[in-house]
Amino acid sequence: MEDDLPTEYDVIVVGTGMTESVVAAAASRIGKRVLHLDSNEYYGGLWASFNFEGLQKWMEDCIHPVKPTEEVSAVARDGETLIKAGNQFSTVSNIEETWYIAEELADSQQATSFSKNNGDEQGEKVGDTDDVKLAESDETEKEKEKENDAEKAEAEDGKPAITEPWSQTKLKKEYRKFNLDLAPKLLFARGSLVELLISSNIARYAEFRSVTRVLTWLDGHLEPVPCSRADVFATRHVTVVEKRMLMKLLTVCMEYEHSSNEFEGFEDKPFSEYLKSKKLTPNLLHYVLYAIAMATDTTPCMEGVARTQRFLNSLGRYGNTPFLWPMYGSGEIPQCFCRLCAVFGGLYHLKRAAEALIVTDGQGSVSACRGIVSDGRRLESHHLVLGVGYAPPQFLQAAPPGGLSRGIFITDRSILLADKESLTLLQFPPVDGSSEPVTVIEVGPSTNACPPGMYVVHMTCKQQTTAREDLKTVVAKLLHTDSITNSADSSAQSPNKKQSEDGEGEEVGDTAKCEPVKPQVLWSLYFNCPETSKCDFTANIPAKVYLCSGPDLDLDFEYAVTEAKAIFSKMYPDSEFLPRAPDPEEILLEGEESAPGPIFEGDCAKAENDGHKTEDGDSDQTKGEEAE
Amino acid sequence: MAKTYDYLFKLLLIGDSGVGKTCVLFRFSEDAFNTTFISTIGIDFKIRTIELDGKKIKLQIWDTAGQERFRTITTAYYRGAMGIMLVYDITNEKSFENIKNWIRNIEENASADVEKMLLGNKCELNEKRQVTKERGEQLAIEYGIKFMETSAKASIHVEEAFFTLARDIKTKMEKKLEASNPPKGGHQLKSYEPQRKPPSWLSRCTLL
Repeated sequence: MEDDLPTEYDVIVVGTGMTESVVAAAASRIGKRVLHLDSNEYYGGLWASFNFEGLQKWMEDCIHPVKPTEEVSAVARDGETLIKAGNQFSTVSNIEETWYIAEELADSQQATSFSKNNGDEQGEKVGDTDDVKLAESDETEKEKEKENDAEKAEAEDGKPAITEPWSQTKLKKEYRKFNLDLAPKLLFARGSLVELLISSNIARYAEFRSVTRVLTWLDGHLEPVPCSRADVFATRHVTVVEKRMLMKLLTVCMEYEHSSNEFEGFEDKPFSEYLKSKKLTPNLLHYVLYAIAMATDTTPCMEGVARTQRFLNSLGRYGNTPFLWPMYGSGEIPQCFCRLCAVFGGLYHLKRAAEALIVTDGQGSVSACRGIVSDGRRLESHHLVLGVGYAPPQFLQAAPPGGLSRGIFITDRSILLADKESLTLLQFPPVDGSSEPVTVIEVGPSTNACPPGMYVVHMTCKQQTTAREDLKTVVAKLLHTDSITNSADSSAQSPNKKQSEDGEGEEVGDTAKCEPVKPQVLWSLYFNCPETSKCDFTANIPAKVYLCSGPDLDLDFEYAVTEAKAIFSKMYPDSEFLPRAPDPEEILLEGEESAPGPIFEGDCAKAENDGHKTEDGDSDQTKGEEAE
Repeated sequence: MAKTYDYLFKLLLIGDSGVGKTCVLFRFSEDAFNTTFISTIGIDFKIRTIELDGKKIKLQIWDTAGQERFRTITTAYYRGAMGIMLVYDITNEKSFENIKNWIRNIEENASADVEKMLLGNKCELNEKRQVTKERGEQLAIEYGIKFMETSAKASIHVEEAFFTLARDIKTKMEKKLEASNPPKGGHQLKSYEPQRKPPSWLSRCTLL
């Protein structure tokens, strides 16, 4: 392709991760000339989501990185130095991919069609009721749903009642139906990203589903956490007395500004100690500490309160839980910001790297960045925003202090069966000697994470050793990971039989018959990647260069949004950060007669919605029950 | 507020830079032609409501925002699209050859049953023609899609093209709706009710 990139920009952004993309959009939105590059052929870097084939390619690239070899000295001018850019692929490690199913099905299997998900799966209704579009009050989605429903209905009718077991070949054939996230992230319904998507009008590029349930692991079982007032009253798991205690405690946490003496004496103590002082029953303490505050035993009290508040604040806006999940995966979110950047004139080029940074020597003063060398060409800019993966090693004070352990599992059923497809968040508390909680997110076909009849389980925790090792305990408790590649034993895919055979779970015993059936893992991937949100990005860095961290350990995008705002305000301190983009009908064309200004439909809709906010939770609940 | 249409279709324009995608879009949505668009700055999508067989159909037509230039269209662009206009320039051989690449791109990223149509734009520039009408027709047959030569500038066939695509989507959709028996739980019909209410758990939520 002809290379006619202009050579001068206000901002060059290298890397299409979350922070980079938000900054690119913000700069472009206020009229700055933006060039946005990524050395990969896909958007998102370590924030990307892939279909099954794309993920294979990603692994391949991680294991055999393409080394940038181009020599780049020619374009430097007097008083300038070139600093070679880094290479992000060197940073993903401990990649382990495993199949648990046969490559091909044996003939006999295909003939007999043993059902791995006979019954339960068929009975599961797709949770088609809780989609969330943050966009303006447009009925697009309903139309689309109409379409989808029609598709679904057709699919259901046409589908044989019994499904064949999965083989590797069969799964690979469906590769396009997967959207597997390198960095699965939820959004708090009232978190800064949701607010930003709405206020900037970027929400129209994305679609969400609400997380339908929050689970916790308590006494060897998965249990739903009552997380709204309605839940608390509906749950069978807590007594009436406990319900009152829980409501009281949650109310105190919500209103702590007004009753500041409530936490006197606990400022320096862990949140768990405060909870104990309230004489909560072990059940309640567990719910609040691990599932609602998503804290650990050592989380300081006030942080625990703040985390509890964050959870409660986001309740009742969209669904049953405080969380939203992006349809088609988390990797869509950075792309939405890229789209906005492009709409306002930002120039995009993937598969295009920055080989080096052009930096002034800075005698007597601070050295400053003048631009980059890309494909041997000199591209100048006032500001350079750089994904940490591209940062020259000398920019970082030290290697990233920690890492993430990630596990992705394709399974044949949900970790906890329900009467309709669930979207689950489970904060697995530290158990059995492991000191780190594990974030488990389970997504199903209705989010386009996988084809029907499957689920995708994401696990994330702080890296201690390797991803496989770090996640071992939780994997063993939630999933069946015995290989069923032995094609003769086709019934091995029937988890009921499996359950009685393996008996590895210590909780199997007299409760065995009501014990939920664990999903069989069909395929898994483990990897480690650096957690760079704690890196020091200030020292050793020339002026006009801004580093962006990669995916962090947190559940949501909060960190990246905050980071992007900070970078933007350093670059353009007097400019507004992502003001609302006009709707197409508000854009008046050159030469058009000036008509009276369009009505800002969005504002009306907003007011309308705000008025109903508080009711949402209750009415949802009612309708939810009706729907059963 | 009553719903002012019966269906809403999301359509995409795809094709090389400079084939006139944005001009086609403006001809259809504004009945205007402006040669000063160098790229597609600030244009996200345009809306026009048309009527077909007594049904009001709101067409939301998305532009590539210049991301086609280096083949960097986001996967997010394709999500939920029901129809795609593949546009080439009859005076530009390369843009015609690239249609195959764009179709591959669509197959990778768009929904499998998306309705496609091929447009040979700038047909008013017959003296500069590099791609014969027959070749355009042939390619369309190869992919089993419809074909038209258009001129955004002279306002030839632009209207017809969008109506044709919209009709095909409508037909496909109605066939599907017919095929689906009345739903079991009553869920699937609910979206027919003209409704515009605050987000609830039972409907797709729209918010701002």
